[in-house]
Amino acid sequence: MVAPEPPTPPPDSPNPPTADASTTAEGPGGPPLLLMDGIVKTFPGVRALDGVDLEVAAGEVHCLLGQNGAGKSTLIKVLAGAHRPDAGTIHWRGEPVTLASPIAAMRLGIATIYQELDLVDGLSVAENVFLGHEFATVGVLHPGRAQAATAELLARLGHPEISPSRPLGELPAAAKQVVSMARALSHDVRLIVMDEPSAVLDHDEVDNLFRIVSDLTADGVSVVYISHRLEEIRRIGDRVTVLKDGRTAARGLPARTTPTRDVVALMTGRSVEYVFPERPEAQAQPAGEPVLRVEGLAREGEFAPVDLDVHPGEIVGLAGLVGSGRTEILETIYGARRPTAGRVLVDGRPLRPGSVQAAVRAGLGLAPEERKTQGLLMLESVTRNVSLSCLNRFSRAGWLDSRREREAARARTRELSLHPDDPDRPVRTLSGGNQQKAVLARWLLRGCRVLLLDEPTRGVDVGARAELYAVIRRLADEGLAVLLVSSEVPEVLGLADRVLVLREGRTVHQGPATELDEHRVLDLVMEGSPS
Amino acid sequence: MTSASAAPVGPGKTPPVTGDERLVHRSLARRSLARPEFGAIVGALAVFVFFSVVADSFLQTSSMSTVLNASSTIGIMAVPVALLMIGGEFDLSAGVMVTSAALVTSMFSYQMTANVWLGITVSLLVTLALGFFNGFMLTRTGLPSFIITLGTFLMLTGLNLGFTRLISDSVSTKSIADMDGFSSAHDLFASQFEIGSVKIQVTVLWWLGLVTLATWVLLRTRAGNWIFAVGGGADAARAVGVPVARTKIGLYMGVALCAWISGQHLLFNFDVVQSGEGVGNEFLYIIAAVIGGCLMTGGYGSAIGSAVGAFIFGMTSKGIVYAQWNPDWFKFFLGGMLLLATLVNAWVRRRAEASA
Repeated sequence: MVAPEPPTPPPDSPNPPTADASTTAEGPGGPPLLLMDGIVKTFPGVRALDGVDLEVAAGEVHCLLGQNGAGKSTLIKVLAGAHRPDAGTIHWRGEPVTLASPIAAMRLGIATIYQELDLVDGLSVAENVFLGHEFATVGVLHPGRAQAATAELLARLGHPEISPSRPLGELPAAAKQVVSMARALSHDVRLIVMDEPSAVLDHDEVDNLFRIVSDLTADGVSVVYISHRLEEIRRIGDRVTVLKDGRTAARGLPARTTPTRDVVALMTGRSVEYVFPERPEAQAQPAGEPVLRVEGLAREGEFAPVDLDVHPGEIVGLAGLVGSGRTEILETIYGARRPTAGRVLVDGRPLRPGSVQAAVRAGLGLAPEERKTQGLLMLESVTRNVSLSCLNRFSRAGWLDSRREREAARARTRELSLHPDDPDRPVRTLSGGNQQKAVLARWLLRGCRVLLLDEPTRGVDVGARAELYAVIRRLADEGLAVLLVSSEVPEVLGLADRVLVLREGRTVHQGPATELDEHRVLDLVMEGSPS
Repeated sequence: MTSASAAPVGPGKTPPVTGDERLVHRSLARRSLARPEFGAIVGALAVFVFFSVVADSFLQTSSMSTVLNASSTIGIMAVPVALLMIGGEFDLSAGVMVTSAALVTSMFSYQMTANVWLGITVSLLVTLALGFFNGFMLTRTGLPSFIITLGTFLMLTGLNLGFTRLISDSVSTKSIADMDGFSSAHDLFASQFEIGSVKIQVTVLWWLGLVTLATWVLLRTRAGNWIFAVGGGADAARAVGVPVARTKIGLYMGVALCAWISGQHLLFNFDVVQSGEGVGNEFLYIIAAVIGGCLMTGGYGSAIGSAVGAFIFGMTSKGIVYAQWNPDWFKFFLGGMLLLATLVNAWVRRRAEASA
């Protein structure tokens, strides 16, 4: 993997240079099958799509790449007619169209196979395939015709052994996906969107999936293919569109020849340089006993045995994509999941496995990824959110001493410079970064010694991140042990002293953060050790 | 999930026969085990054997007809309530709606001195409108059906009493026995016929007819597919173009239709209606549906199961009498039966899934 510096595109320019390639990529016979232009979709508080362009030619496999949160799922929901865009135009075979409903999209010939298979367990295979467009005369079904047609479709998909009359709920996940695909083909389909179809398949079945995809494209059907696995995109993809932060970072790149580094650089290219606090003098082997020690901790089907130590004053980072097991590891350490092997020790004493209570009592604190639903009472005040973990400290004979509660909470939030400095303010009205500070203040008040941070800057403005990084570093300097999980590689590298790189539940690298750079980590998480 | 790696067959490879068999053929025993009503049938047999042993007269044919008659009045309503539950919703107003249907017929006919068939028709329209209101409110507001139908339940309870008192100045309606059309309506909704020496109520025929119709709708019509789909995965159903709102409104109107039938029986079985009747019966319908294998979460169940559930109800309510126990304890047994049946159903389902 010796390559020149990757071409980092000017991140905020509306028209990255790589985008030019696409304009020439239209099919020879007129307009492309699908042309989406400047699609914008906002949800309360989030701009999920901020001007996305996508162009798909007839009969091609068009791959959609992007990190989590880049907007892939929202984009395909727009394409499926499930979300209506706020702005932007969609052209279908040269004609402007509005995809007002799933049925409208289906009538045009767009079928979507979602990642969470949306089939009905209580119906049979054939009933699922033809649900919504049944063979029926005045409402009375012709089960025989539906079953025969389903059997034909399943045979075409290479799975004649699935019985059309079988209740769907009894099928394994891979077979359900085949049924989902049969449903897509039961329409007169021109474009099939597949959202990470290989995620539930094992090796042989992936081959079969690829055979189906190439059969489809040979018939002139286009496929929009979403996958995290670059090797798959190299095998079946024709062109690649890369999304980043709700925008098209590059469209129409050749799938087979674009260097991995370029793709990775497009996925991660940063618009703002993060400012990380200075690390204390890096020590190769931190002195003293670790406060948190994890020995061979594993959960079957989620992550392989992992070993790690965190010393007081040290920040250890876990880097990996979604599905790499990073959140699962954190939650297992915290006792929210029961490990199938291994143990967690705090100060050398093993914790009772699968008990959050034991973990908290031993001094562990978790700032969860889903802050708003798992970490905070959004409607309550800052004070109540901070004092939550040790309310009994402020109560006398069952009565709460609100004044003491308020003062204690305020001391902690001031320490973290939570803004605005108003303990009675509902947490809902704070910015993302200050909400995170409220979570941290809670654990400080509790007297926690090991902080587990899951995506601490998710939903935090770029500007406010530097401040949060400084807070985390300061807490470590004051003697806390910090275990940090983040899908943002620069964050792990910039903040942590030591880094574990995870890929599909396995630790593929462990070492000082200073010995790694972003591209090396991305190589590790995406394709395994390049050796 | 065991067949994940065994079953699929790559292209070009000859499918191994064993892999085929796993997905195609299943023994009759296993298939019947997977039916929703299986647990209820086992339970019905157990209850039957139990009362056969403890109550001497339980096995006489006349006792059986009494049991059937008692089952049928609950069973008629359990059928649409089961369908509604498969569609993922409840109707707490079903019990009092029966009374409302009866009151409308009675009071309209009496006040207008019209042929009772005119009253019956008006009652049908009013009841269907009530069902439509339930379904429409549910799909429009997005509130849980528990809240919506609790509201309808309370409003109907109030209307039943209020109108009755306003019009007839008592808590029951005036007799309509001498009005035009009474006897023919009585024949249709509340007569009895004899098979051998056994007297059977006409409601048993209504019940069997409704169970047959509902089973056919569930298994052989497009609407049946939609009912399973809206209950088992409303989002999936919507995404493929199933008219979710229309299906749910239709289900509530189905409950209303059966409430109308039940209400006419209530009225024509005598000739007056007590305005306070029906309260609490909605739970009996739900119990029959749940004992019959319907999942509270929707997407699973059968009309035949609801009939078996109603039959268990009938056997228990009359069996206690034949066993000469104090009927005060009836609800206690019913509650125990509900818990037991639900546990058995859950256990059977797990077994069926594990062996699939």
